[in-house]
Amino acid sequence: MALAAEAFMTQLAAAEPWPENAALYQQLKDEQILLSDNASSLAVQAFLQMCNLPVRVVCRANAEYMSPSGKVPFIHVGNQVVSELGPIVQFVKAKGHSLSDGLDEVQKAEMKAYMELVNNMLLTAELYLQWCDDVTVEEITHLRYGSPYPWPLNRILSYQKQWEIRRKMKAIGWAGKSLEQVLEDVDQCCQALSQRLGTQPYFFNKQCKGLTFQYRRLVPKIRPTELDALVFGHLFTILTTQLTSDELSEKVKNYSNLIAFCRRIEQQYFEGHDKDSSSSATSRSAKRSLLR
Amino acid sequence: MAAPMELSCWGGGWGLPSVHPESLTVMAYAKFSGAPLTVNAINNCWRAPKGEVPILISEDTVISQPAKILNFLRKQKYNADYELSAKQGADTLAYIALLEEKLLPALLHTFWVEAENYCSVTKPWFASRIPFPLSLYLPGKMSREALNRILLTRGGPPLYSLTEVEAQIYRDAKECLNLLSKRLGTSQFFFGNRPSTLDAFVFGFLAPLYKVCFPRVQLQEHLKQLPNLCRFCDDILSCYFRLAVSGHSPAGQDTVDANLQKLTQLVNKESNLIEKMDDNLRKSPQHPPRKLTTLKLAAGGEESSPLNRLSP
Repeated sequence: MALAAEAFMTQLAAAEPWPENAALYQQLKDEQILLSDNASSLAVQAFLQMCNLPVRVVCRANAEYMSPSGKVPFIHVGNQVVSELGPIVQFVKAKGHSLSDGLDEVQKAEMKAYMELVNNMLLTAELYLQWCDDVTVEEITHLRYGSPYPWPLNRILSYQKQWEIRRKMKAIGWAGKSLEQVLEDVDQCCQALSQRLGTQPYFFNKQCKGLTFQYRRLVPKIRPTELDALVFGHLFTILTTQLTSDELSEKVKNYSNLIAFCRRIEQQYFEGHDKDSSSSATSRSAKRSLLR
Repeated sequence: MAAPMELSCWGGGWGLPSVHPESLTVMAYAKFSGAPLTVNAINNCWRAPKGEVPILISEDTVISQPAKILNFLRKQKYNADYELSAKQGADTLAYIALLEEKLLPALLHTFWVEAENYCSVTKPWFASRIPFPLSLYLPGKMSREALNRILLTRGGPPLYSLTEVEAQIYRDAKECLNLLSKRLGTSQFFFGNRPSTLDAFVFGFLAPLYKVCFPRVQLQEHLKQLPNLCRFCDDILSCYFRLAVSGHSPAGQDTVDANLQKLTQLVNKESNLIEKMDDNLRKSPQHPPRKLTTLKLAAGGEESSPLNRLSP
């Protein structure tokens, strides 16, 4: 579909209010979903929670093939289907909900820069670990990725995916990196995030504008932005996922303010919000115990 | 004293010390940090491992990739980021990620994929700097790699055709330029009055876009509408690269165009001629004042020395 037509559809959707039956699709939580997809999905869930928009999490084995961009998560709202955090933020903004309206131009530029840092370093490192690190590929990725499918297909699909990701890594110059170098990059990224966050509750503090919005929704004065949602999605997933070794989560655990940040968002936006997605509540409580 | 460092990178043109973004980034950082690099414009990719340019050679260590070279320079105590706070250091990393994700695809596209630009500017320029048999092969390889990178990182559903991907990467790049312009505002550099790593990266990415004359210039047109970014590039070019030409470091050798060199040679020849004529004139009387001649010669020698420095 042409981009112009897509933009037009988005405009059409803007007038409609957020429906009660909005759904977010991702792969099966317990046996299939991989680290990077789980992080992206959690980031979108956190973003929608912060916007106070209810969404039901639906787990489907073929979620990847249902998505318009071939990437999870995607949301189904009214008669619209939108995938990935960036477009979802745009879509939600068209409906009149935005977390970054109170920021000035420089802060907006900074927020976008940090979001690219997370995508460029954390997401790529997660993909590297799960598709290029031989131990992880053998012990976790192939088993989980192909789990819903019968024998020859599970192997074929996961090798196909692995080949695709490795080509991408080669194109961006990550193919020659060793696991140590990748972990060092993760450390550098976490250090930058930690220094940027400092002692603040969220990444951007000055949100005095957007008073009408505040008045209408009675939200607290200091509000998170989509950057907070993205960082939370990735760091929380890294901290709570069992891998072949805990080298990756150790890198994050070195930064106490980032851990406190994850805990803060989890308590504020995920505890007591699990009524409509009871299936994920159990796994989440398991995760919580891991975090402590 | 640290070992001499030699940087091999693509040469310059259009008033730039190098037309290659990565090479330019390293050269700018070296200027900002005062690292004494000897710059070699390469015409031979055999030396570079896997064709990666720029490379830094210091004694027996060979380093490629701008980020690694910058790290090496920092370890050698050539640090342009001394005055930055930890938070500014974090911002630097974030903005470099922004440049790589949003601006680099469109930059690669403008240079290597856009057919008209590639055939009439990029390919002839690089081919003329690579020795013969390789000149037929390498530019095509670099073009294929650029296209490959764009398609693998930005392609895929729902963007199936190249034109759709192009529209998306140019939209991203323009947004990135706007963000940089807003971030820079009216200040001279990104963090106050002294240039740092981030300035080197932004300059490296923007200056080729700004200066190289392409037939297709949609990104350049957008950049020229952002006066503070243009001023930023011009300032760095005039303060850090023109001055260097007349200084003792030959790093900016490529900005000295052939004309200036010819002029220098002409002036030198002329002064030699004048000296000879002077000598002949002085020799013509019966008692040549020998002392005066030597004085004259010495003066002539001193006069030509600053000019000689110009020619690398």
